[in-house]
Amino acid sequence: MFTPAGVHFAVDAAQPAHASVVLIELGIILLVLAGLGRLAARIGLPSVPLYLLAGLVMGKGSFFKVDAGEEFLAIGAQIGVVLLLLLLGLEYSPADLKHGLKTTWLAGILDGLANTIPGIAFGLILGWSPVASLLLGGVTYMSSSGIIARLLDDFDRYANRETPVILSLLVMEDIVMAVFLPIVAVLLVGSSLAQGAIAVGIALGLVAIAFIVSFRFSSHVSRAVHSRSRELLLLSVLGLSFLVAGVAEAAQVSAAVGAFLLGLTLSGQVADEVRTLLPPLRDVFGGIFFVFFGLTIDPRDLLPVLVPALILAVITAFTKIATGSWAAARAGIGPRGRWRTGLSLIPRGEFSIVIAGLGVAAGAESQLGPLAAAYVLILAVVGSVLMRMADRIPVPGIIKPRTQPPRP
Amino acid sequence: MEIFETPLPGIGVRYEFTSELGDHVGVVIRRDGKRDVALYDRQDPDSCRGTMELTDSDASKLAELLGGTNITARLDSLRHMVEGLAIEWVTMPKTGGLTGQTIGDGHIRTTTSASVVAVIRSDSGIPGPGPEFRLEPGDTVLVMGSEDAVSKARIILIG
Repeated sequence: MFTPAGVHFAVDAAQPAHASVVLIELGIILLVLAGLGRLAARIGLPSVPLYLLAGLVMGKGSFFKVDAGEEFLAIGAQIGVVLLLLLLGLEYSPADLKHGLKTTWLAGILDGLANTIPGIAFGLILGWSPVASLLLGGVTYMSSSGIIARLLDDFDRYANRETPVILSLLVMEDIVMAVFLPIVAVLLVGSSLAQGAIAVGIALGLVAIAFIVSFRFSSHVSRAVHSRSRELLLLSVLGLSFLVAGVAEAAQVSAAVGAFLLGLTLSGQVADEVRTLLPPLRDVFGGIFFVFFGLTIDPRDLLPVLVPALILAVITAFTKIATGSWAAARAGIGPRGRWRTGLSLIPRGEFSIVIAGLGVAAGAESQLGPLAAAYVLILAVVGSVLMRMADRIPVPGIIKPRTQPPRP
Repeated sequence: MEIFETPLPGIGVRYEFTSELGDHVGVVIRRDGKRDVALYDRQDPDSCRGTMELTDSDASKLAELLGGTNITARLDSLRHMVEGLAIEWVTMPKTGGLTGQTIGDGHIRTTTSASVVAVIRSDSGIPGPGPEFRLEPGDTVLVMGSEDAVSKARIILIG
């Protein structure tokens, strides 16, 4: 209930009273999200950082207190992750992945190394366990395809020549994530080396099988799921997603990867229809996911990690600029396009939080949650602003070509 | 004119070409049917001088303006080429005629010699429907043949 901390209503008395409290809390949370969403749209910022902030404000040890609805929020957050990743998978067809792997694998590897290493090193310097540091590497690695795709559209950059480079890098990151998450999920369980190796092997084997299934049998699965009725289609797709995500989680592949692979598998007409059907649902549960992540963090824990988060943000903003402009240069894009590519890859968002959420749920490192939240808050906002201003910031000399650019 | 095609994962496909007079143009066809048209700077192809965003219907109107061939124009020219060829769009009634029955049930081909070439249902076109195709109220049926055959077919269709 939203009461000043310390003063509690007796919510555990009767069931109907409990239900009313849960509904009232959820109502207030969703309305807060709606208000913040409007604000975000007005000032031209992505909504993810504002949702996180809302969670922080309503979270542990703060003035407001949510508790009756927490159980629902926890499940809602899980559903949010499943839907986020399902729709991400739906965005891409197997052909997109093949093309991405073929054309940008080298840039993808460089992007991976240059942006995970700072995170991992930073974690180790802070004295974290190797697993927690690896998770931080994941947090710093993943650019936010949600934020970036939205902003590319907002700024009318779909037709720009550098846009395919940006998008293929994002595709590569998503493929890497499908391999990275299962490994981390196994490591988090913390078994012995031999057991861990076997579990990682099994998890990766399952991912490989899922990739093959999605490449080969995409049309069969899609046909089985398809229905002309929107209601039946929604029920079948949601049912299948939760089932696959749950089984994946049980097999330590992580629910997120299960949902992503299912999304890749669905294609053709089903994918088209689900893409129009599910986004509103994803936005609601995705919002709940960000709020819930914020709720689990005590805002007072943010202060000590603020400076480390800022340093990490600056370093990994530069590494993204470097890898982005390198990839663009390799694709024959001129200096200004390279600069835009680099800046466009800076925003971090949903996936950094998904990765950090894994660690928080497993209790890997108490500082991981606050640090990731602060980091994403900084880079989601700063990254979006930089992306908007890309054409007004002069291209730094290091990106400018020393020789005349080739005329097409 | 050479057109370059680049896939945009998660968005659609981008086509790029240089016009004969040297303008650099890009067209993005998004998966949801929207189009983005961009005019690149002549000196620096990496920056856009402007973009326009078109819906599906905007795009087809623009294509008409630009002299693209739309279906009716093409059918008209077909009619000119074959003397005496009649083409008719028949909208299926709520009940009666062949509504609710298959195309084969009407024996249109055997009794009139006209052919059912396509059926348009809501927004999607079904080219060359087979005899087992069941007609629904509101379907638009495209019939071709001689004047006489088409008018007879029309009577069979709507009853």
